[in-house]
Amino acid sequence: MARKSNRMSKKKPARAAAHSSSTNGTKTAAAKWVGQPIRRKEESRLVRGRGIFVDDEKMPGMLHIRFIRSSYAHAQISRVDVSKAEKFPGVVCTLTGAEIKKQVQPFIEIGPGGAQKIADYPMAVDKVVFQGEPVAAVVAETRLAAEDAGELVEVDYEPLPAVVSAEDALKDESLLHPAMGTNRNWHGVFEYGDVEKAFKQAAHVVHIGRLHFHRFSSTPLECNVIMANWDPRSGDIEYHCNNTFPSFASQFLAPALGVRIDQIHMKSFDIGGGFGIKITSYPYMAVCALASRKAGGRGVKWVETRIEHMQASAHGNERVFLDTRVALDQNGVILAIDSKHVDDCGGFPRYEPLGCVIWAQVLPATYRLKNIRIDMHQVVTNKCPVGPNRGYSRMQHLWFMERVIDICGQALGIPADAMRVRNYIRKNEMPYKTPNGCVYDSGDYASMLEAAKRLIGWDGWKKKQAAARSERRWVGLGIGSTLDSGTNNFGQARIINPDAPFSGQSKVGIVKLDIYGEVVVSMGSVPQGQGHETAAAQVVADALGITPDLVNVRPGFDTAHNAYTGHTGTYASQFAVTGLTAIHGAAMKLRKELSRLAAWKLEAKEKDLEFGIGAQGPEVRAKGTQKAINYWALANLVNVNNAGMPKSLWDITLNCRHVFHANFEIPDVQRKYGNLTLTYAAQIHAAVVEVDRETFQPKILAYACVDDCGKAVNPRIVEGQVHGASAHGIGAALLENCAYDSDGNLLTATFSDYTPITAMNMPELLYAHMESPSPFTLNGAKGMGEGGAAPVHTICAALQDALYPSGVIIDDSHNTGDSLFHALRKAESGGYAAMVRVEHRTASR
Amino acid sequence: MYAAPFSYHRAASLEEAVTLLRELGEEARVIAGGQSLIPLMKMRMARPGALVDIHLISGLNGIERSNGELRFGALARHAEIEDSRVASTIPILHDCAAGIADIQVRNQGTIGGSLAEADPSGDWGTALMALETSVICFGPGGERTVPLEAFIKDAYTTVLAHDELISGVHVKLPPKGSGGAHLAFKRTAPVYPTASASVELTLEDHHLCRDARIVLGCVGLTAIRAKEAEVALRGKTLDEKSIRTAVDAARAAADPQSDMRGSADYKRVLVGTLVKRAIGIAARRARGESVPAGHEYAGR
Repeated sequence: MARKSNRMSKKKPARAAAHSSSTNGTKTAAAKWVGQPIRRKEESRLVRGRGIFVDDEKMPGMLHIRFIRSSYAHAQISRVDVSKAEKFPGVVCTLTGAEIKKQVQPFIEIGPGGAQKIADYPMAVDKVVFQGEPVAAVVAETRLAAEDAGELVEVDYEPLPAVVSAEDALKDESLLHPAMGTNRNWHGVFEYGDVEKAFKQAAHVVHIGRLHFHRFSSTPLECNVIMANWDPRSGDIEYHCNNTFPSFASQFLAPALGVRIDQIHMKSFDIGGGFGIKITSYPYMAVCALASRKAGGRGVKWVETRIEHMQASAHGNERVFLDTRVALDQNGVILAIDSKHVDDCGGFPRYEPLGCVIWAQVLPATYRLKNIRIDMHQVVTNKCPVGPNRGYSRMQHLWFMERVIDICGQALGIPADAMRVRNYIRKNEMPYKTPNGCVYDSGDYASMLEAAKRLIGWDGWKKKQAAARSERRWVGLGIGSTLDSGTNNFGQARIINPDAPFSGQSKVGIVKLDIYGEVVVSMGSVPQGQGHETAAAQVVADALGITPDLVNVRPGFDTAHNAYTGHTGTYASQFAVTGLTAIHGAAMKLRKELSRLAAWKLEAKEKDLEFGIGAQGPEVRAKGTQKAINYWALANLVNVNNAGMPKSLWDITLNCRHVFHANFEIPDVQRKYGNLTLTYAAQIHAAVVEVDRETFQPKILAYACVDDCGKAVNPRIVEGQVHGASAHGIGAALLENCAYDSDGNLLTATFSDYTPITAMNMPELLYAHMESPSPFTLNGAKGMGEGGAAPVHTICAALQDALYPSGVIIDDSHNTGDSLFHALRKAESGGYAAMVRVEHRTASR
Repeated sequence: MYAAPFSYHRAASLEEAVTLLRELGEEARVIAGGQSLIPLMKMRMARPGALVDIHLISGLNGIERSNGELRFGALARHAEIEDSRVASTIPILHDCAAGIADIQVRNQGTIGGSLAEADPSGDWGTALMALETSVICFGPGGERTVPLEAFIKDAYTTVLAHDELISGVHVKLPPKGSGGAHLAFKRTAPVYPTASASVELTLEDHHLCRDARIVLGCVGLTAIRAKEAEVALRGKTLDEKSIRTAVDAARAAADPQSDMRGSADYKRVLVGTLVKRAIGIAARRARGESVPAGHEYAGR
C-alpha cells in the first residue's frame, strides 16, 4: 500500500466566533500542536505487544462461559437439557433462556407501536430467530471444560419457515415476533418539496428497478470480549469489556438486570477495532453478569470466537430500493426522486429502527435536489441482528443516490463528472440547508472532484479507456461522492418514536493537575484505534502552552473517571468535535484556575501572565519579569500546602470537568424536519476498474481519495483513517458479503468464506486532503473516519461505466468476477431491458 | 476455539513415528506444519484422539538435486521452497510455493503435509501433477515409492496406510526445452484458490509441442489431469487453434461445485482461462524467457 501524499490546503476562512466564547475569557494560545502530523502516543505500547486488551486481563477465581447456539435460523425450541453438561467436571453452572426470562426484563425497544411488543431477552426463550442465537450457556473453571461440556447440552428444535429477504418479510407469511403481528417494525414517509409538481415539469423521467445494498460487517481484529463480575456484597456489576458505547449499553442493561446505572462499572483499555459493530454486545454482557451472579459472584469471561462473531454479533444494514422514479430537467439536473426503501435489520431491532432516520442526515446526498419522497420501511428477518456498522445507514442511502446519478447520466448520455458537477451543492451555498432541515456546514464538492480527477489523471484515463474499448476491453472510470456526517443529534430518534426520551449530543472531558503537577486527561470516549490519546494531548498542549508529551492521557474508558453522560461512546464520527471540544473546555477551565492562582502567588495581574515551559517544566510566568511558578508549585498550593490561601480561591480544584453540548433543537416530528448532525466531512473518490474479459474479475487500475474533514487535528491520523476506511470499502465492494442461503444459514461464517480484504487485494491509494473548516466547531474540525463506504459507490460507478456498453446495470453494491460473469450473461439475454426505463418529455438536448 | 481433548506424542525419527501410529491406532493423526489440521481441530471438525508430531524429525526438510531429480524432504516448508534456488530450476514450483495462503502459513506448512491432506483445493497436488512426481511413503516395511497420480485417491484420501507417512517428494527434472506455470486465482491471501491450473510443456524449435501436462485444481474432488487437453497440444504446433482446442477440452474435464468461492459455471470458465494463460507462460518459459507468474488476487 504505497502512498502518495498531496496536501492541498485551501484558503482558510475566518474562524467563527461561536465557540471561542466557551473559554472562560482566557485567551487560547495559538494552535501549535493541533494540525501537526505527530506520531501517535499509543503506538509504542501497541507495536511492542504491551497493549492491554480485555483478554489479557484476569480476575481471581475467574470462570469461562461458552454459549450454545441455534443451528436453525427460525425454530421453536421444544427442549433444552443441560443436565449432562452440569455434571461435567469443572462445570460450575449453566444458564438457559427460560431460566433467564424469570430474572430479567426484556431489553428496551426503541421502535414505536408493535415494535414495543418484541421481547428481546439476552438468550432465546422459546424460539430462535437467527442462526447462532444463544439458547444456553455453560460456565466452567476453564475454557476447555466449558467447550467440552457445551457439547453435552441437548436442544430440540421444531424448524419454522425462514424469512431471509426484505421483500419476503413484507409478505408477513412467517412472523418472527408474532406479538408484533407483522415483520415490518417501522414505516414512515419522508417527503419534502413538491414531488409531483417536479415530475410534471421534468424533461426526463427515469424509472429504475430494484437496487440492493448488501450485508457486510467490519470484522474487527479483536472480537467481542467481556469480563463481568456481579459482586454479591455490593450488588454492583463490574465490566471490563470492549463495548464501544458504554452509556447506551448501561441504559439497556440497568432496567433489564434491575440495577441502578451507577451500579454498572464499565471500563476498557485498548480495543482492537470496533467500527460500530461492538455497540450491540449488551445481550452478552447481561448473560455474563447473570452467570457471575449464579456462580456466587465469581468473575466470568467470554471471548467471542470468529465464527460466533460472524454469525451472531452484528452485521451492517441491508437495504433494497424499489420502484425508483427520478425527474430530471433537460440538463440532467435532478428535480425529484421518489422511491421505496426497505431496510432489513435481522432478527431483533436493538439499535434499530434508528437506521430508518439516520440516513436522512444525508437526504439529498451531495446534491441540490429539493423534492424527494422516500417511503421507508424496516423489516425483521431470520438473520443476524444489525448494528451500526461504519458508514451506518448513510452509506446505504449515498450508494442509492450515486447509483441514481450514474444510471440517469448513462441513460441521458451525460458524463459522470458533468452529471455530478451540475447537481452538486455549490461552495457558495454553504452552510446549506437540506430539504429536511439539516445544515451542511461547509464543503466544496466540485473542487474536490477536480482534485480527485487531477490526482488520478482522469483525462489521460479517458483516452486510455477509448483505446481499450477499441480493443474490446472493459475499462470503466467511476466517481463516488460521499458524506461522513458526524456528531449526531439524538433528537432524530423522535422522528422514529415521538416518545423516545433522548435528544441532543454531549461529551465529557476532564483535565486535572495532579498533586505533583502532572497534567492528566480523562476522556469520555472509547478509543478503538483512532488515536484519541494523541489528539487529546495536542489540544491540551495548545491550551496550556506545553508539549503533547507532557500531557498524560488515560487510555480507554472507565466509568470511574466520571467522564460520561448518557451519550458517551465512540460512534458517529465525532471525537474530533465532541470529545476534543469537551477536553479543550476542561483544559481552558484549568488554565483559568492556574491563572488565578499564579496571579495571587506572583502578585501579578492575570492579563500579564503567560503559559509556557521553563527550566523546571511547565509554568506560568509574569511577562517581562523573572517571576514564574511551575505546575508542581501550583498544584502544591491547592492540594497539600493550602494554609493561607485566600478564600476567594477556595473554589479552585485543579480538577476541571467540561461537558460539550451541541447546539441542537428537537426535530419537528410531524414534518420529519430538523438539524440531525453537526458536521459533514466529505470524500470524493475516483477509480479506474477493468473487468477482465476472460476471468470477469474486476481489477482496480487506479484509485484516488480526496478527503475533506475540515481542519485536520492530526493529518497523519486522518490519512490513516482514510486508508483504513478505503480498504474496508473496497473489501465490501469486491469481497465481503454476509451471504445466507434460503434456510437462513450463514454461508460466510469463517474468514475463508467471508474473505475480509487483505493487503494483497489493495491497490495503491492516491491521497489528497482539502480543508473546508467547519464554522460550527472549535477548531474547524469535523468528525471523520467512517468514510461512508466511499469505495462501494466509486467501484460500482466504475463497473457501471465499464459494462454499460454491454448492457449491464450495476444493481448490487457487491460485485465479484462470478456475479459480473452472470450479469453479462443476463445482459446478453436482454435481462436488464426492464431495469431502467427513460421517458423523454421534451426533445433531448 | 478449543480442540477436543487429544494426547500428544513427539516422534524423534520416522521409525518412531510409525511405531507410535501403530500403537495409538486409528484415532492418531500425524501433524507436521499443522496448517490444515489445527484449524479443523479448533473448530472440532477434526477430532483426532492423538497427535504424532513429526516436525522435529531431523533431516526431513532438505531440498536437493540428485539423479536428475529434485528431492524434497517431507518437512520442507512452503516458504523454504519459495526461497530455494535449487527448487527455482523448475519455475512451476516457485509459482506454487510463493502463493500458498499467506506468509504465516507458508512459514509453517510443509509439502508433505499438504500432499497427505489431499485437499481438492491444495496447490501442491495440482502443481506437482504437472511434473513427474513420486511420493516416498515410509511405513513399517520401509520405504515405497508411489507416483503422485496413484498416491491421491480421492478428496482427502491417499494411499497412505494408517501407520505410514510421507518422507519425501521426488520430482523428475523436465527435459530440455521444457517450461511450466502454475496459475491460481484467489479472493484473498489466506484462502484456497477459486480455481488453479498447472501446465508443463516441452517444446521443440520453440513452437512444436512434444509433450504437455495440464492439471486443473479446485474444480473436482482431486486435481484433474486434463488428458484430452494434453492430447490437443501434444505433437501440435502451439497456435491459437490448438490452444483453443486444449482450453475447451480442459473446461470439459473440470467438474466444479458451486460454493462461496464461485458458481460451478463460473469456475469452469475461470479454469479454462487459467489454462490458456498458463500455456502461454509455460511456452515462453520453455523458450527461455523469464516470466513472473503465480497467484492472482481479487481486485488487482
